[in-house]
Amino acid sequence: MKKANGRILSRREFAQRAAMLSATASIVPPAVMLEARAETSLHDQAQPSTPKLSPEGQAEADARYQQVLKLYGDRLSDEQENQVKKMCVELQPALDRIRAYKLDNGEAPALYLKPLYEREKKPQTATASTSAPPAARKP
Amino acid sequence: MLKESVLYGSVGELAKQIESKQLSPVELTESYLERSEKLGPRLKAYARLTPTIALEQAQAAEKEIRRGHYRGPLHGIPYAAKDLLAVKGIPTTWGAKPYANQVFDYNAAVIEHLKNVGAIMLGKAAMIELAGGLGYKYASASLEGETKNPWDTNCWTCGSSSGSAAIVAAGLAAFAIGTETWGSIVCPSAFCGTSGLRPTYGRVSRRGAMALAYSMDKIGPMARSAEDCARIFAAIAGHDPLDRSTLPVDRAAFTYSPAADLKSRALRVGWLTNAWKDVDPGVKKALDAAHKTLQRHFPSVGPAALPDGPWEDAANLIVSCEGCSAFSDLIWSGRVKELNDPLGQVGGYVNQTISGADYNTALRLREILQRKMTELFDSYDLLATASLPVPATPLSLDLSTGLAFPDPLGAIGNLCGLPALSIPCGFTEKKLPVGLQFVAKAGDDSAVLQAGKIFQQFTDWHRKHPTLNQV
Repeated sequence: MKKANGRILSRREFAQRAAMLSATASIVPPAVMLEARAETSLHDQAQPSTPKLSPEGQAEADARYQQVLKLYGDRLSDEQENQVKKMCVELQPALDRIRAYKLDNGEAPALYLKPLYEREKKPQTATASTSAPPAARKP
Repeated sequence: MLKESVLYGSVGELAKQIESKQLSPVELTESYLERSEKLGPRLKAYARLTPTIALEQAQAAEKEIRRGHYRGPLHGIPYAAKDLLAVKGIPTTWGAKPYANQVFDYNAAVIEHLKNVGAIMLGKAAMIELAGGLGYKYASASLEGETKNPWDTNCWTCGSSSGSAAIVAAGLAAFAIGTETWGSIVCPSAFCGTSGLRPTYGRVSRRGAMALAYSMDKIGPMARSAEDCARIFAAIAGHDPLDRSTLPVDRAAFTYSPAADLKSRALRVGWLTNAWKDVDPGVKKALDAAHKTLQRHFPSVGPAALPDGPWEDAANLIVSCEGCSAFSDLIWSGRVKELNDPLGQVGGYVNQTISGADYNTALRLREILQRKMTELFDSYDLLATASLPVPATPLSLDLSTGLAFPDPLGAIGNLCGLPALSIPCGFTEKKLPVGLQFVAKAGDDSAVLQAGKIFQQFTDWHRKHPTLNQV
């Protein structure tokens, strides 16, 4: 285990992280989820420019980081681990925002994009719960 | 070698001379090759030149035209293709070291289309590795290194169609083919002062092109004018039964005729008031002048606003998830470490942890956004604003901070597969180009092309070229 600091997790903390791991790890092998590791919270080392997260968001970002370390930790240098940490924290607000957008159960996904040519007269039930905040561009 | 004024000719101008046999496709090709051999490496614009293919195609074109078999406006016109389009028998590197020796035994559909109309492939244009699919923070994120902007070689071209933009701006080819998932045609066109069309999603076949984000990738022309983009788009658009993402025949095809297709239609322009948070003063000055030009020559120009919502987040999530699926073998194998960029080396690891539920939520948001945009286009035929709020950035800039500003229009346009055109509309005090962007509803590519053509009838920014002595 890389960079374990020996800090002992409370039962509650462990349960919270394990829950977050299972919430975020649908794409990775299930075995990984069984081994939530006790590591320093990202928040402990957060850089000044990183977004401030809610406790739940922080736990999820921590869990995500642990998941990457579990899968790929042996491939990462210290610098890369820090980069991964930063990315996990930066990803969280975007996830929080899309989850906060009110969607009705019947709002279906555009699974395979077909640009709309004709006006579709569907009832507009969804409203933005947050305004679009700054987000990193992907050039 | 032919004069620079000829090499900077538009497709329309070159075609006229070729058709009337005043200009030899072989001589034109040789001149572009010579210029490309000289300036290409200095700009890091090409992944590779393909002189054998070029000269073979040029000789064939010349022979055909002499015999009276003129195929149309791209016959005998040399171009460069972004190095993510498969060309049979020569390396297609996707701009990335792990694929440096990748060779396909077929041509991408776009390459075939251009071959069929008699265009001449000069070479493969340099690009950002994997088109930025796993993230990048430096202009050097490419197998060729950082592509230099012909207007100022201390500046970047933007990405990911970096080489395509540099090649057109430096007069190394008559046009180039680029691709966009989010910003990769619009941004390089703006930074390099070229005209670039991002077509409606599904109008151009992606068969044989590297996939980054299956539901967002588009292929489009980068050229000297909106009219040139229309001519090239007409050659590459169309349904492809072998690419299930292409639109049906009647919606994918595009025909161009200077007299008919781009005839004046009373375009209602929505001037966006909330596309950019902060605009560079030099860009603003050029943009204000462009706004006045639009007000003079378009029947209706009024303020418009993009809908609020987490569209950028949704677009980012979709690109991230689809990208890490597209390159999953690279991620699982650990060969991402061979990428140039520190962000690209680890980005896939993080993106793999995004849940399917979150990806699906992003897709549901897309559906809602499509409806909102359709409503907006009830009031406007076009939306217009700056292509980018800043001019070309320094080569060494950390893009994760230096180019990290909100881009709701880029997100919305690409999430919904809307067509966009970037054309030059002026310069900053440092003589860096400024881009003006038009966006239309899905399928109305002719609206952005018509708007560009009208703007370029009354301005000459697209006829300005960099002085390349410093290169």
